[in-house]
Amino acid sequence: MDTARLKQIQGLFLEAADLPETERRPFLETACGDDGALRAEVLAMLQEDAHGGSLLDGDLSQVARNILSEFPDSHLPKELGPYRLLRMLGEGGMGVVFLAERADLGSLVAIKILRDAWLSPARRERFATEQRTLAQLNHPSIARLYDADTLPDGTPWFVMEYVEGVPITEYCRMQDGSIEQRLRLFRSVCEAVQYAHGHAIIHRDLKPSNILVRSDGAIGLLDFGISKQLDDLGQAVQQTRTELRLMTPAYAAPEQLRGERVGVFTDVYALGVILYELLAGCAPFDLSNRTPAEAERIIVEQEPEKPSVAGRQRASAWADLDVLCLTAIRKDAERRYRSTEALIRDIDHYLAGEPLEARPDTWRYRLGKFVRRNRRAVAATALATAAVAALIVFFTVRLATTRNTAVAAVARMERVQQFMLNLFSGGDKSAGPAEGLKAATLIDRGIKEAQTLQGEPELQTELYLTLGGIEQKLGNLPQADMLLNAALAPHNPESLVAESTVALGLLRVDQARLEDAERLIRQGLTNATQARPRDDRAVAKATAALGKVLEAKGSYDKAIPVLEEAVKLESGPGSNPLDTAATLKELADAQFYAGHYDICDNLTQRSLAIHRRVLGGKHPLVADDLINLGAVQFERGHYVEAEQRYRQALDINESWYGHDHPETASTLSMLGRSLVFQHRYDEAVNLVEQALAIQERVYGASHPKVANVLNELGTIALQRDKFDEAASRFQRMVDIYKAAYGEHHYLYALALSNLASVYLAQKDYARAEQMFREVIRRYAETLSPNHPFRAIAQIKLGRALTGEKRYAEAESQALAGYNILLKQTSPTVSWLQSARKDLVTIYEALDQPSQAAHFRTELADTVAKR
Amino acid sequence: MTFTNALREKPSETVMRDHEPGSKAEKQTLDYLFSVTYEELRRLASTVKRNDASSTLNPTALVNEAWLKLVKSPPFETTSPLHFKRIAARAMRQVLIEAARRRNAGKRGGQVIFAGVDLAVTEIAFGGQELLALDEALQELEQLEPRQAMLVESRFFGGLDVLETAELLEVSEATVHREWRAAKAWLKHRLRQ
Repeated sequence: MDTARLKQIQGLFLEAADLPETERRPFLETACGDDGALRAEVLAMLQEDAHGGSLLDGDLSQVARNILSEFPDSHLPKELGPYRLLRMLGEGGMGVVFLAERADLGSLVAIKILRDAWLSPARRERFATEQRTLAQLNHPSIARLYDADTLPDGTPWFVMEYVEGVPITEYCRMQDGSIEQRLRLFRSVCEAVQYAHGHAIIHRDLKPSNILVRSDGAIGLLDFGISKQLDDLGQAVQQTRTELRLMTPAYAAPEQLRGERVGVFTDVYALGVILYELLAGCAPFDLSNRTPAEAERIIVEQEPEKPSVAGRQRASAWADLDVLCLTAIRKDAERRYRSTEALIRDIDHYLAGEPLEARPDTWRYRLGKFVRRNRRAVAATALATAAVAALIVFFTVRLATTRNTAVAAVARMERVQQFMLNLFSGGDKSAGPAEGLKAATLIDRGIKEAQTLQGEPELQTELYLTLGGIEQKLGNLPQADMLLNAALAPHNPESLVAESTVALGLLRVDQARLEDAERLIRQGLTNATQARPRDDRAVAKATAALGKVLEAKGSYDKAIPVLEEAVKLESGPGSNPLDTAATLKELADAQFYAGHYDICDNLTQRSLAIHRRVLGGKHPLVADDLINLGAVQFERGHYVEAEQRYRQALDINESWYGHDHPETASTLSMLGRSLVFQHRYDEAVNLVEQALAIQERVYGASHPKVANVLNELGTIALQRDKFDEAASRFQRMVDIYKAAYGEHHYLYALALSNLASVYLAQKDYARAEQMFREVIRRYAETLSPNHPFRAIAQIKLGRALTGEKRYAEAESQALAGYNILLKQTSPTVSWLQSARKDLVTIYEALDQPSQAAHFRTELADTVAKR
Repeated sequence: MTFTNALREKPSETVMRDHEPGSKAEKQTLDYLFSVTYEELRRLASTVKRNDASSTLNPTALVNEAWLKLVKSPPFETTSPLHFKRIAARAMRQVLIEAARRRNAGKRGGQVIFAGVDLAVTEIAFGGQELLALDEALQELEQLEPRQAMLVESRFFGGLDVLETAELLEVSEATVHREWRAAKAWLKHRLRQ
């Protein structure tokens, strides 16, 4: 039978089935002509159709029950090489373990056989990994590998030492020994685990049934079935999680359940749970009668009782045991024993009657927890701190370098002292402002102080500029607008007017009023250039600001030479290194968006070196550099490295600004993005939603900063197939950018492109195509021809055209995008991978096998490299 | 002091989802998904049988339960429920066919005999041979009409309902009804031959 025949038969069957029964035969007589076999077949099908009772008419339940109710392994041979199988010892998801006897020696061994090896290469690979792991481990307390082979049908098996013993918990119950005896036994388990860690192997499935005690009290550690080699952890994280789903959670660490990175600390946790059970006689959490989801929640969230309480012991006598146990099973992996060795050390300390190295939770830790719980309340204080810091900078740096020598040094010092006194009135002067002091209060006092400076207009202008800068940094843009306008006093020296004009222009950038911004800044630059005497610093700053506004407009080709000029102006003798660094950073930004990642990396390293030298390692400007280095790693497709940089930056920003600040929000959002690309979605969503809440509160619901966060959330939703959510996030982003920048801005185009990506994922190719074409048109208006965004949009358009089966058009788009990106980025970035996949599909459809093969090979090579 | 914006201020192009299988990496992922789903189904099946005799071993329920367990784990997070059910249907078929084959091998000394018209009473109750025969016929259908075979596999082994099947095959519900009817009649007829 061929396909055409089958279609013919089924077609006639369906037509006939629609007819009343009496008309069916006459219909078929006519329709089949002299093809008697055809008629017979259709008639037979009609008859089958009328009768139920077959397997296909019922459901599968009963059959499944019958088939699965016993699972004889009778097809297995009775003998494997020199080994005779005696009985089954156990079975898991992967394989079956048999007790066997070595015929010639009479010794007992355990044989593990991979069940259903034919099913998939992934299973065979994991089985082989276990075997390799065991081969590496040679320790008296770890069941060792003796032999390995495969059955004629390809089923692999290996032979291990047979450990005849009982689970450690059962052993301790039977022996009912002293605490010291239990600890010594447990210590030897730790030693075996420590040995494995020394070979860079983590067990990941430590539980009593895998830790047997022989009758002579010796330990036998079993089942490295899901163990992992530490050096391939980066790759392993994904699989770890799924494998874990296959086991019971009682001994699983919170990070395992959350699917986060595992490490030696994961084994430390499991050891802690076992120790708890050995000491208290029960597990730290009662998970009986819990669904897996409930059990997971308990392990991740609930604090265990102290073992002394659970085991009904005297708290004072068990104080150290409580600390020992609870330190090993802390939720936060970083606060557990650092290694099995550290755990062993404290066991030894306990046995020797010495103080432990671990300490119970300190007040500082509890305070930290309190602060985390009350982020909102604490935030006001954090903002005030930032404001105070800025004002102190004003008085110590800005006034000290003020250009007007007419303000006598003495008078200035008096002013400064007076101002500080007023500012901090009500607080302890030596300790800073009173605790309840709000940023708003500080600035109000600053404004009042400034108003009294009528007689000293320059000082007054400087103060308005500073206060406006603080408001801008705090995100209070209308107040900043007011203050910076107040600074624009016409009677000031030209260079100061220039500076105020530029400052207002930079505020316009934040307000996303870019035309206005460029006009103001160009005017400020003219003022600064024409000022007599010429003020090189003001010219440099205005030039840098012009570069910044051009960059904000997406005109990188114009921005880059301007910023290079600004760096030159600011690198002269007597220049402030922080200004140089700021401009370097601006230039790095422009190079980044132009897709020149190596240059950007280099410039950022220079900026970082300056910041570390001048400000030390804990300053937010250092955090900014780290973020930028992370962004470069991200664009190169190195997501783990990106995550590391972002986490360093987050540490700095959180301790500097507090948890509830826009700067922290930006960092959270970036960190979230790096996690998304590692498929760690829950963590990512949590971080990015925190960021959204902060930005909406600070900037209002329709500010571009909010749109930036919406982009991350839309991306995550899209990756999780939540199309409606993704579309609504991106639509809001489109609306915000359109209102802020108009339709001729690349960010508007970008938002459209991401919205169109949702249609693409939903296979609404026509709609996606139309939108991508608009995106590419918009990009062409503002971005350089080699901009990665343009390449990406072309690749996306190619994907839409492929969906519409318009392969020739798809080829030209995908190939153009591919060629641009190949020049700009690392060959392994996901975009190039997508382009390669599409090109394979396209060339196959166009019947160009050699081209298809070319990209398939590239794809395989780059997959291997990643 | 100029406060500059860091790179973080700018969003970027969002990713494009890769659905189409075909590449080596995707095949590996699929293989992995399949293998894990298979193990989970087997594990679930074994817990059902141990618990109590009255509970039904319903493939739809098993597939749903497997989905609930696996959904939060990468790479399942990027797998749609429908796509997962499709994989699970294939895994379910493999689990049952493999089990039936072994059981049959145990009974008949390794020789697989396909069920004819006159099945022995015990074999009807067992259903294993009919299942093996169905698998054989389904393989034939796969050669001729792969999409129709997918429909049968998804509905019968994966427990997808008509709506889900329609979505999976990107056809109307009416088409699913018609194709299912035609495929079923054809397969049943095939099983009698």
